[in-house]
Amino acid sequence: MNKMAIKWLYQELPGLVAKGILTQEIAGKIREYYGEVKSVSKTTTMLIILGTIGALLIGLGIILLLAHNWEQFSRFTRAILSFAPLVIGQILALWVLWKRPDSAAFKEGGATFLSLMVGASIALVCQTYNIPGDAGTFVLSWMLLIAPIVYLMQATLPAAIYLIGITVWAGTYWNDPLKAVIFWPLAAVIIPHFIWSLREELYVLRSIILSFVLIICASIGSSFSLGKTWDGAWIIIFPSLYSIFYFLGNLDSDKITVNWQRPMRLIGAIGLFVLAFIFTFKEVWKIGTGYSYGITRHISDLSAVPDHIISLSIVAVSMLLFYDFVKRKNITVCLFGAVPLIAIIGYFLKGSTGILPIIIFNVYLLFLSVLRITSGIRNNSLGIVNSGMLMLAILIIARFFDSDISFVMKGLVFIIVGIGFLATNMALARRLGGAK
Amino acid sequence: MKNKLITGLLLLALVQIYVPLSMIIKRENVLKSGEQFKFRTVPVDPFDAFRGRYVALRIEGDHVTKQGAQDFEKGRSVYAIIEVDDQGFARFDSITLSRPIGKAYIAAKTGYPSGGKVYLELPFDRYYMEEKAAPAAEAAYRQHSQQGKLDAYIVVRVKDGFAVIESLYVGGQRIEDAVKQAGKK
Repeated sequence: MNKMAIKWLYQELPGLVAKGILTQEIAGKIREYYGEVKSVSKTTTMLIILGTIGALLIGLGIILLLAHNWEQFSRFTRAILSFAPLVIGQILALWVLWKRPDSAAFKEGGATFLSLMVGASIALVCQTYNIPGDAGTFVLSWMLLIAPIVYLMQATLPAAIYLIGITVWAGTYWNDPLKAVIFWPLAAVIIPHFIWSLREELYVLRSIILSFVLIICASIGSSFSLGKTWDGAWIIIFPSLYSIFYFLGNLDSDKITVNWQRPMRLIGAIGLFVLAFIFTFKEVWKIGTGYSYGITRHISDLSAVPDHIISLSIVAVSMLLFYDFVKRKNITVCLFGAVPLIAIIGYFLKGSTGILPIIIFNVYLLFLSVLRITSGIRNNSLGIVNSGMLMLAILIIARFFDSDISFVMKGLVFIIVGIGFLATNMALARRLGGAK
Repeated sequence: MKNKLITGLLLLALVQIYVPLSMIIKRENVLKSGEQFKFRTVPVDPFDAFRGRYVALRIEGDHVTKQGAQDFEKGRSVYAIIEVDDQGFARFDSITLSRPIGKAYIAAKTGYPSGGKVYLELPFDRYYMEEKAAPAAEAAYRQHSQQGKLDAYIVVRVKDGFAVIESLYVGGQRIEDAVKQAGKK
């Protein structure tokens, strides 16, 4: 349960008891049921944020100072210098674990600083000995050396740095999918920490930042590593990936939260809509199905196996979650999360023209946006109505740009859509006003 | 628990120190006892956010002419055998898949073959310099090349196929000195 909601409930309890809506006994039982809210004070939160940003800035500053390349120093001095920031970072981290093992601010800050110093140290050695510009090897050795910090110090920012680092590493192998695919086992290293941070506290800055970074890195990482074994695989892989985010973000949906606190749901939904929208264009089904990330040489045989395994697992997980939500009879979530399923059907029905999938996706998006509008009206929620109307408007506008309809017709349709927006909003606003 | 974490961090700290230390020791060893070669090069100045400014090196003899039967696809690990021309500069004579005996060689990867040549991705492609010095170095080189003297080269130490750059020379001078002199003018 969201802490903010419980706090709110506890604030309300005395008033409810006073007005005779609840008895003192029931109020007590409610408190017993939800337990004490262990409150992290605002000062502590500020300490963590400022401490971590401070460590980050100092760390980056040291990297820049070393990048200046002080050539008056001898090779020996430079060798010593390479270790100085690293050892300082290590001593600091050890001190934190020794003296302040319970301070999240110290642990997060110390771990972040140490993570950066490991990179600074290797970078300086590379500089001193003119080690070739193989960015991949440099980043990978750095990341492998900081991954344990995440667990030893329960620190989240190093986990974020690690995820970004391995994504960069996978990027250097974008044309060598057999290597890039190692991104997935590397990313899996962070999963226990991610689950830990979610368990520790859902919907707080720490897990939100990590979720954001994880989603973005997983999306970019898949474009580097997956879908290179058969043409147009991206049409199935990406909707599946975003639907996984979307479904996971919708678990425990009874919690009171705002959108930015649920990056999985937010980015998942946006990703699914954007993909479904892209799938309404004929170019996707004509050209896009032959597209496999600019790689001319397709990998096949045994070397394609890792790609297949991970791609199929992503699709399978997506389908299992879909099935789970169907069982829960959560129609709204299921409809939105059906994009991968429809994409698979579309992929096999596309033929040479791709007419069928285009029709399917247009009808699907029309249905989805209208449903969203009506459900928003039913629940008196302006936000949902407007997002539904935005989806509808995007669809209609796109259709009128890619067909041969006269300007007069286009103009009229725009005006009608605009009036529709205003009218629905006014009607809803009046209704909401009336409800009060 | 606390002690376990501290022990873990101590072990990690050792590994974190070991990695850069082993990088240093390996290269110091080559610089000390490796065989010396000169490669003609063209320097240009780019920049790396983490490691600073450097002059990128385009080695002149970074290829071998294809040998009949052996076709090397891109990305093969090969041994490039070094030969020295009559002017004292090194270039590559041939490439083999097995470690050569009794000849100086560098372990490298093959690039795209083109025009009957196999290009090599050599383990020296950059020379780090002070922030302001790297662009100045490129300018110093350009000045020299305009005078028709294309005489930039790197001195490399090679041992058991492993190469480490010792220094970069332009117009017969170490680049750092050339930049300082150009600065004085």
